[in-house]
Amino acid sequence: MDHEIPNIDELLNSFLDGELDARHQTEVQRLINHDKQIAERLQVLRNCKRLVSSLPYAEAPDGMLEDIKASLEGKKLTPSAAEPVSFSAHRQRQGARHLLLRRLTSVAAMIGLVAVLAAVIYSIVAPQVVTNKPVAVEKSEPAVTVATAEKPAPFTGRLELKTSSPSEVAAFINKAIEYNIPSDERTAAVPGKLRESHTLICSRQNLRVLMDELGTIWDKINSATLLVNTDRPEGQIVVDAVTPEQIIEIAKQDDFETQIKTAKYFAAMNNMAELSPGKEVLIAIDNSTLGLITIPKPVLTSSEKTIKKPSAQTEDNREVHLTITVLEH
Amino acid sequence: MTEAANISIDDAVLVQQCRQGDSAATERLIRKYQNRIYNAILRICANPDDAAELTQDTFVKVIENINKFEGRSSFYTWAFRIGVNLTLNYCQRNVKLGLQSLDAEDSDDSDDKGVLKKFLTDDSLPDPAVVIENKELCRIVVKALMKLDDAQRAVIVLRDIEGMNYAQIAEVLDTELGTVRSRLSRARTNLREIMETLL
Repeated sequence: MDHEIPNIDELLNSFLDGELDARHQTEVQRLINHDKQIAERLQVLRNCKRLVSSLPYAEAPDGMLEDIKASLEGKKLTPSAAEPVSFSAHRQRQGARHLLLRRLTSVAAMIGLVAVLAAVIYSIVAPQVVTNKPVAVEKSEPAVTVATAEKPAPFTGRLELKTSSPSEVAAFINKAIEYNIPSDERTAAVPGKLRESHTLICSRQNLRVLMDELGTIWDKINSATLLVNTDRPEGQIVVDAVTPEQIIEIAKQDDFETQIKTAKYFAAMNNMAELSPGKEVLIAIDNSTLGLITIPKPVLTSSEKTIKKPSAQTEDNREVHLTITVLEH
Repeated sequence: MTEAANISIDDAVLVQQCRQGDSAATERLIRKYQNRIYNAILRICANPDDAAELTQDTFVKVIENINKFEGRSSFYTWAFRIGVNLTLNYCQRNVKLGLQSLDAEDSDDSDDKGVLKKFLTDDSLPDPAVVIENKELCRIVVKALMKLDDAQRAVIVLRDIEGMNYAQIAEVLDTELGTVRSRLSRARTNLREIMETLL
């Protein structure tokens, strides 16, 4: 009979479970009534179903609810353990502010780092003054070499100060020069309608004193530019936004090469600082100048006899030729 | 209005209250279904300790995901679906666990087997009270159940122990109605054959 109706077991089980529609229910009932084998099979299935459904009902162990609540407490999922909505929102806002602050700090640090790196790279790759002449010149006279390193190279340049209070600044400079620079080391001021000039031929020491003095009114200077004469075909090196300390640093270098290098260095740094926000680089440069610009003096390595110049020649210490011009800004 | 409909309305209210953080409603939902879910899980995995742990895990998962319950099915079938899935996954990892615990309790009581044989062949329906009182008979039935594969055992438990209709079983097992029908038929046939071999 099973072979005649392939799904007879499915039909009988569905019949048992009341899952047949009315038509199929009637058909199966008819089959059962007319086929003893099918009726017996249905009985076996029914008994089997009854056996399983007669298994004793097991209740959950005592404390199940408490265990579930404990698990939920552990996971902080129960409503009582959950944070109030307002507190949660407050923490979210705090987190967002903290995140924004951290991002801004990161961006600022990145900008600072890039500026410093750019300054360093520029100082390395900046174009150098190409010298057409040899660095060392040997004279043809045998056995006589002049130790030129002992005679500091003079510093020649012009300092242009632009200010919105030219008369006040000029008066201060006049007094500072009169007070600090001997009369034989300066020329009289040349007043003009738009400018006033002073020419100094003085020692480095006196220049330092004068610059220290001028530093006290530097905040009244809108623009300070130092033009360093190089006695080279390239002409002058222009150092914008120069400070009194930088002027002293450039002027105190004993040879032209170092003066040029120092002036170029400051020119590059000052330009970078002017472009950077907050001028942080300028502060860094000012603090690290002395450490960066330390160039050893040339050392004579020849075994030939060295003759020092007469003392009368070296005692002339008026190595600074500086013209200070005050302009109205 | 039928009782089933009333239960379903109550569940919807409790679920809503549970979502709003009402711990009393959460407790009521757990109390309402903990025994039924525990019993079904026990009949599938056959180990009381594992059944207790799986029931606990089921309710933790139910409460965790209560906001994801969309109400397309009843809460009852949704909770059972979670419980049965957890149990079937557990059984797959520990295939022999249920059989081992039953093997240890195996015995050879010919009187009980005679009762079982009578039940299987007798024209009259077996008396449930007799089955419940006869512990050895229960063990044989449970052992036979455990010899079925997990899917067939689950469908028999849901239909013959939990009393779900085919549509609810299809929902719990996430399968087609026709699959439930054929799987249940094969499961009962296999169960009968297994029990006969045990006699």
